[in-house]
Amino acid sequence: MLKPKQMSRLLIAASKDQMAPVVAELYRHHLFHVEEYVEGGTEGYEGFKIGSPLTGASEASVALLSIRAIENAVSINPEEMDPVRAGTQSELKARIERELPALEREVEELSGKRSKLDNRVKECEQKITEITPFVGVPADLEMYRGYSGFSVYAGYVAHEVTLAVPHEMHYLKGKEKNFVVLVAPTAQRNEVERALQEASYQSVPIPDETGAPEARVGYYQGQIAALTREITEINAKLDAVKQQHAGFLAACEEFLRAEVEQTEVPLRFATTRQTFVAEGWVPSDTVDAVSDSLIKATGGKVFVTVLPSDPEHDSVPVEYSNPKFAQPAQMLMDIYSRPKYTEIDPTLMLAIVFPVFFGLIVGDVGYGLIFLALYVGLKRMMKGEDGQKLLTVFRNASISSIIFGLLFNEFLGFKFSQITGWILGTGGLVNPLEHYESLMFSRHLLIGSTEVGGHGPAIPALMIMAIWIGILHISLGRALGMYNHAKQDHGLHRIKAVVANFGWLAVMWGILIAIWSNVVMPYMFDLTGLPVIAAGFNLGTFIGGALILGGVICIAWDSVLEVIELPTIISHVLSYARLVAVGLSSVAIAMVVNYMAIGMFISPGMADLSPVGIVMIVVGLVIFLFGHTLNIALGLLGGGLHSIRLHYVEFFTKFYKGGGKRYVPFGIKRRFTED
Amino acid sequence: MSAEVVAIASTDLAAIQASQMGMKAIGAGLAVGLTGVGTGVAEMGIGAAAVGAIAENKDFFGLGLLFTVIPETIVIFGLVVGLLLLF
Repeated sequence: MLKPKQMSRLLIAASKDQMAPVVAELYRHHLFHVEEYVEGGTEGYEGFKIGSPLTGASEASVALLSIRAIENAVSINPEEMDPVRAGTQSELKARIERELPALEREVEELSGKRSKLDNRVKECEQKITEITPFVGVPADLEMYRGYSGFSVYAGYVAHEVTLAVPHEMHYLKGKEKNFVVLVAPTAQRNEVERALQEASYQSVPIPDETGAPEARVGYYQGQIAALTREITEINAKLDAVKQQHAGFLAACEEFLRAEVEQTEVPLRFATTRQTFVAEGWVPSDTVDAVSDSLIKATGGKVFVTVLPSDPEHDSVPVEYSNPKFAQPAQMLMDIYSRPKYTEIDPTLMLAIVFPVFFGLIVGDVGYGLIFLALYVGLKRMMKGEDGQKLLTVFRNASISSIIFGLLFNEFLGFKFSQITGWILGTGGLVNPLEHYESLMFSRHLLIGSTEVGGHGPAIPALMIMAIWIGILHISLGRALGMYNHAKQDHGLHRIKAVVANFGWLAVMWGILIAIWSNVVMPYMFDLTGLPVIAAGFNLGTFIGGALILGGVICIAWDSVLEVIELPTIISHVLSYARLVAVGLSSVAIAMVVNYMAIGMFISPGMADLSPVGIVMIVVGLVIFLFGHTLNIALGLLGGGLHSIRLHYVEFFTKFYKGGGKRYVPFGIKRRFTED
Repeated sequence: MSAEVVAIASTDLAAIQASQMGMKAIGAGLAVGLTGVGTGVAEMGIGAAAVGAIAENKDFFGLGLLFTVIPETIVIFGLVVGLLLLF
């Protein structure tokens, strides 16, 4: 929690004949992050060479390639499949030898046939486009060829052609282009060509066909239909292969990938003629388990030890260590950057604050419920691990929207009392929510309201709430920045960095205290009552001024250039106003849609149930659906993007560096095979 | 006579108040609209460059998004000013 998982540097040394069991054992554990051995330069590794693959590497690679080719041909993506166990590895090995060549032949044959047919369809389509211009001309296609004293011209012209020489011409007026077919004596070629050129003639090749053009087009269309039927048949066959063998193929791929990875991993080890040395990282709490099982697997013929490590200079791979509910938020962290091994991992804070921000922006029970329904629907469709994580974050955000919706008293832009009023009002029952306004500051605008003296949204209160959130969030960020610098830096630089972060905090709070001492604001401290000291300013103003001055000096001590960044203090705090601003705009859209749909169309339509009235009701319903769909899309974008942006830009820039190396343990999460 | 003057004066006052409200609304509209244009212009270049960078290297997505949304603060300021003007 708040720190990446602790890692230990493990060194494994053994004779080469133990390589296979060691590799298999490491692969099974799926914990060992291999530190690649680079030849030359590494201290203590003089005379070592990069290892060579274990036996069977190339066979496995070849088989893997052919499996992937089959998967491509029948469009299987194991990532998108539900994990099913297809059998143990020895079973699979036998099945691969027995079934794979036949399957490969079958798929290859089918896909080869399909691409041949595809080509023929394209040829036929080409023919049709060639013949189509001639369809309107009442002449068979063989009539265009075989003259000795005459030339045939066919092509598009801008306007009709007039010729003085004897000729035979057919002119077709088209919408965009006019088509002309012309036969004239070759002797007068120059004259004809000049006349054509004046009409900006574009020649069209004469198709090498015989018979009436319509008949030929019909013939080729028939051909295409027949070919398409054949293609559909082949696709059905490939589909059948997919249905029948998908599980097997996915399992094969996994098995062979494991084989290939295991046989090729010695390329990352350091070896001598007789021995090999593997270095890498494992989570500290698993060191014992890994080394014990290695010793067991090799019958004690292996040397395993934990090397001393220096977290600042070694590039330690970083693995998150978070409670379960915060784990999905790791994906949002990875989009930005993985934490460094030595710094604070803010995933937990992100996991808590992100849904809160999202809820503050959306804050509507109706939308929250729709988001939850979307989540349930998408959860079935999305198979990838990242997608699932994103969806879990989305679920938390939806729940938070519902909670804030209850507090804000919003349901699709309506108040609860309006909804319950409609449901219960017709039965003459008492509306239990009639007097419920909202537990938080109201965001309801006065759109379409005829209520006399109705009060609009509590904008100042909402703004100040957002500003408070900003102040606290940024203060937390700066405090974490001080901690990070104190942990990571050394000497004078460390003191300067910590002091600079303190300076930023001091300036921010100094500004606040100075403001509080002079202006009374709702929901903020009132320091105007402090005793006046000089020039009409009270004590608070001077304390604030001193903090600002001290803070600026602290910042300048670390880096003078940073001082020009001072305005960001105000802009970053004010940036949190988006929590209110974006939310209000979404409420406004919802209320406008409701007013347009119900106030302007449905209610008048209900009052008069004539055909016109019914049309009005339908139009109202369409507006209602379309408007709210749009607002849901905007809410998702606005809520998600703005919440994450407040973290990335306003919060993380205060303390977070990132750029840690991803922990990629050697091995795979088996989904289709068994150990 | 005097009652007439009062009536005229009060209609004038109402007209002035209404026109002031209208001016406020125009001001709010300008604040949001112009800052929106500003944000759009600023994000135009960044967005294009960010998409280019992401096309080269997918890992750039987070950082690209961060850079792209930095000018968004401008329009938020506009919104804040607009809301404060109106309420």
